[in-house]
Amino acid sequence: MLDTVLFVAFPYVAVVLAIVVGVYRYFFDRYSFSSFSSQFLESRRLFWGSVPWHYGIVTILTIHLLAFLFPGAWGALTADPNRLYIIEVIGMAMALVAIVGIGLLLLRRSSDDRVRVVTTWADWALIAALFVQAILGFWVSFVYRWGSDWFLHTAVPWLYSLLIFQPKIEYVTALPAIVKWHHLWGFLIIALFPFTRLVHVLTFPITYLWRPIQVVIWNKGRPAQK
Amino acid sequence: MRTIKRSAVNNGQALEKAHLREHKKRAPAAGVKTSLLFWTMWLILPGIMILALAAFPSRAGAQDISEGEQLFTSKGCTACHTIGGGDLVGPDLAGVTTRTEKDWLSRWLKEPDKMLAEGDATATELFEKYNKVPMPNLGLTDSEVASLIAYFESLDSGGTTAPTSSAVTLPAGDADRGKAFFMGTTRFSKGGPACMACHSVAGIGALGGGNLGPDLTTSGYIVSETAFATFISAPITQTMSAVWKGTPLTEQEQADLYAFLSKASVAQREPSALTQIAMLSGGTAIVLIAFAQIWWRKRLAGVRRPMVERAHAKRGH
Repeated sequence: MLDTVLFVAFPYVAVVLAIVVGVYRYFFDRYSFSSFSSQFLESRRLFWGSVPWHYGIVTILTIHLLAFLFPGAWGALTADPNRLYIIEVIGMAMALVAIVGIGLLLLRRSSDDRVRVVTTWADWALIAALFVQAILGFWVSFVYRWGSDWFLHTAVPWLYSLLIFQPKIEYVTALPAIVKWHHLWGFLIIALFPFTRLVHVLTFPITYLWRPIQVVIWNKGRPAQK
Repeated sequence: MRTIKRSAVNNGQALEKAHLREHKKRAPAAGVKTSLLFWTMWLILPGIMILALAAFPSRAGAQDISEGEQLFTSKGCTACHTIGGGDLVGPDLAGVTTRTEKDWLSRWLKEPDKMLAEGDATATELFEKYNKVPMPNLGLTDSEVASLIAYFESLDSGGTTAPTSSAVTLPAGDADRGKAFFMGTTRFSKGGPACMACHSVAGIGALGGGNLGPDLTTSGYIVSETAFATFISAPITQTMSAVWKGTPLTEQEQADLYAFLSKASVAQREPSALTQIAMLSGGTAIVLIAFAQIWWRKRLAGVRRPMVERAHAKRGH
């Protein structure tokens, strides 16, 4: 009963919230689709937090997504123990990089007066939720090995069953508590997504990759060429 | 001179602090519309959950012997137990109602995991005796437990005859093939996952097998060919059952795995690879972060700062 609420109702509620509120916000509060950068207020610590966090989390999320979208190919990839070990070690290392990054961001946000003043309760909720999820993810991958392999046979069929509206929760409900927390916390973040600056994931400047080149010309004060 | 400078700095900081305080007081909460919406939606959320609860009413069935008999098979008790056919993974259940208290037995069927965690004496004794394979929580309702007990009681009093169970004979297995199946280098014909995804066993791979499921080196599930084949062809533990329902093992695959696992159980146990994994992943993370430090060491220099420095340098000379 509780399992049905947590692993069927809650994911649907979270996704519906994300879509409905996300669309509403896009049409009625469009200028809020932003990461509300605080780089102007503090840039050094931001750099050392933001860069590891984003490289780490984008890699990890891409791996989650690829394994979900192409379970066959992913299964073939992890079939060889040596490849499995390499993938797992890279995954855990990227998770640690992400944890260090978000940890620094959390520290910066709570210790810098200027940044703290522009921080809303939603920002606190989001950064704490992301920090917790990154820790849970590393914990799962480290303690309950080899997640890159069993993920395909537990979480993927469960998520797929939700996607085709024929929920099958028995794949995940008997997993260790930490694994279940990681699943549910993911949907909590999806539910938080439309209400926070996390919406900036949709504004990724992909066109940057093919924008025309920019030529920077120094008229004066250019260091003398040797 | 120094005093003046310090007080100027202090003034500047105080001014900024005051400014920040003022800003906080006056600034409207970012995205008022969105936060209003947030509260509305989070109030609706519990409503939807209650509706979801109502949509899945719990079934209350009459407790009777025939339901118990049916449950004994449908809940998969037969994966580990016989009635009068000898021990498999778990004990033979003939006479179970005469050798245990009814209250104990019904709680044991309902929440064996809790009783084991609490350190119940009989539960612990059974756990030790049956090769540390815990009785799984099958998620039975109170009425299902009562039906099962009614069924066991009728068997013990001779009212019903026990189902016949016979030893399983697997074809001749090949341990090397079994190892390849276990590690995933050879895939199972119906597409099931490699055992190594969740289980470890002595003598495989540099970093060992998985740790989601139990280590199979000396597993109680491998005590006999019959016990192994009965369990693996219809696993009762929930995750195993979900995973293997659509992708069962062939008899030959079961035989190969059994050959490998029964051999592995006498092999020398390898030390845990946990430290190695921690050092490898931690080391890689440190290298990546250090690499970023070196690669982007000039990243924060910006445009203004070097120009100012250059201007200062010029003036100095």
